[in-house]
Amino acid sequence: MTGVGKKKGSRLALAAASLVVMGTLLCSPVGCGGGETGTTPTQPGLSGSLKIIGSNTLLPISTMWAEEFMKENPQVGIAVSGPGSGVGIAALINGTADICQASRPITPKEIDQAKERGRNPYETIIAYDALSIVVHPSNPVGELSIEQLSAIYTNQITNWKELGGNDAPIVVLSRDTNSGTHVFFKERVVQMSGLPTQDKSLEYGPDVLFLPSTEEGVVEVSHNPNAIFYSGLGYVTEGVKLLAIKKTADSPAVLPSIATVHDGSYPVSRPLFYYTDGEPTGIAKAFIDFALSARGQKMVEEVGYVPLP
Amino acid sequence: MGLVAGSLPPSRLLWQRVGFAFLLLCTLLIVVPIIALLMKIIISGAPAISWEFLSQPPSQAGKAGGIFPAIVGTLYLMVGTVVFSLPVGVLAAVYLAEYAGQNWVTRLINLAIVNLAGVPSIVYGLFGLGVFVLTFGFGMSLLAASLTLACQALAVVITASREALLAVPQEYREASLALAATKWQTVRHAVLPQALPGIVTGAVLAMSRAAGETAPILVVGAAFFLPALPHSPFDQFMALPYHLYTVAAHIPGVPKQTMWGVALVLVAVVLSFNSVAILLRWRARRRKIG
Repeated sequence: MTGVGKKKGSRLALAAASLVVMGTLLCSPVGCGGGETGTTPTQPGLSGSLKIIGSNTLLPISTMWAEEFMKENPQVGIAVSGPGSGVGIAALINGTADICQASRPITPKEIDQAKERGRNPYETIIAYDALSIVVHPSNPVGELSIEQLSAIYTNQITNWKELGGNDAPIVVLSRDTNSGTHVFFKERVVQMSGLPTQDKSLEYGPDVLFLPSTEEGVVEVSHNPNAIFYSGLGYVTEGVKLLAIKKTADSPAVLPSIATVHDGSYPVSRPLFYYTDGEPTGIAKAFIDFALSARGQKMVEEVGYVPLP
Repeated sequence: MGLVAGSLPPSRLLWQRVGFAFLLLCTLLIVVPIIALLMKIIISGAPAISWEFLSQPPSQAGKAGGIFPAIVGTLYLMVGTVVFSLPVGVLAAVYLAEYAGQNWVTRLINLAIVNLAGVPSIVYGLFGLGVFVLTFGFGMSLLAASLTLACQALAVVITASREALLAVPQEYREASLALAATKWQTVRHAVLPQALPGIVTGAVLAMSRAAGETAPILVVGAAFFLPALPHSPFDQFMALPYHLYTVAAHIPGVPKQTMWGVALVLVAVVLSFNSVAILLRWRARRRKIG
């Protein structure tokens, strides 16, 4: 019995050892880009690593910048992750991220928490996003004011006919609470910040459906003639219709586009942020400089976001 | 089914046939959706599979390129989970099955382990974030993620190992002790080898679950875009389930077949590990005495 046990034991040990060897072999021949952490500020020979954590909205832009930056600086390894602005800011406060990407500004409470841990959040605006309101292409309604949108999202207006559309109940779709987009929309549209009708006590209504992803919302709107949703311009597909938004009932109705965000006529645009601990230095600085450069900003346009003016 | 048709009256025979047909229907009800799902994944994902897809890093936020770092990251996670959970789990099971007394303390421990298995995986993720990422200072890393998933896997490993050990007939222990072996020698040489198939099953279940978990890893270290492979356990990593979730939910313009391709690769990785484990278990069972 002892002999058999020993044989089985050694066989399993061999299997485990081969797994480990396989793992190491897998790593070595295939290019391993990231090096050790270093802080060389000059472009040639830049090496080190960068962790970017935060908003999903910024994933298309950040990954694009990271890919280009790594092509030019092969010794730098950049890791870009979601899963949300809230998590990104928490990572900045805890020191587990180098750059936090956020689609909403950091709140004073979060700044206090960061200061308690000895971190100084430093804000850099890296692009803008035109937050678009989308409906089904068959929906006759073509424009809405912010006040009407607020009434829809607080469930005060519940039927499209109240807005000049079909006699059908409005299916109100929103992002969930982890999303920076959700927070921004609540402040700018639901609570109507900056307008005379501003009401900070307003919340999303009880019949609003919260979705975990923008993609899901856009797909739902393209199938549902009665749905309404808000999403970054980059996620809008041909299957949905953009609404022109009026700041107040008397303002002109404006469609979201790069031009209307730059001249300020589109009322629901938002800045997108990178937060660092203090002013960016080393690789973070080089990366953010690249992002803000003319080439970096051209890439922003390609993914459907609005470059800095 | 040993009944001879001629020994039953026709009406009873009919009812028996109806009964068996009903049981067959219930079995099909379970098996058919699984097969249909697998077929859907294979048919929708196969067009995306190419050597480039399997060996290249991602590009353009996952719309192009491949998923090689995600495959490697998932494999590292599976290995890490087993490395951390198997030794502790098996030894805990040995204690519970062989050494623990039949008292309220043991019952409490068993109850705790059963409850541990039911804790939602995101709770393990937050636990891992608080303990391994922050308090221990490992940061967002492969090490933190492996430890987190190992905690989750512990309940499965302990339960499967304990059941396997308890299933070994008492005669083996008695015979060993009768030959003047110590308790530990008995466990090590007479009981454990017999329980090996069950323990391997537990390890495989743990690995498969680790491969598919999304919620815990996204707060403890998984990255969406990381073309380089992790050099050390303290690096971040890509993983197939998180990659699939992000391209499906958050990146506009990803071709549908790419998403199905990632799903197909994930299912293939899990199934192939399961097959290897079934093979190991079968061979271990063949070598069992008696």
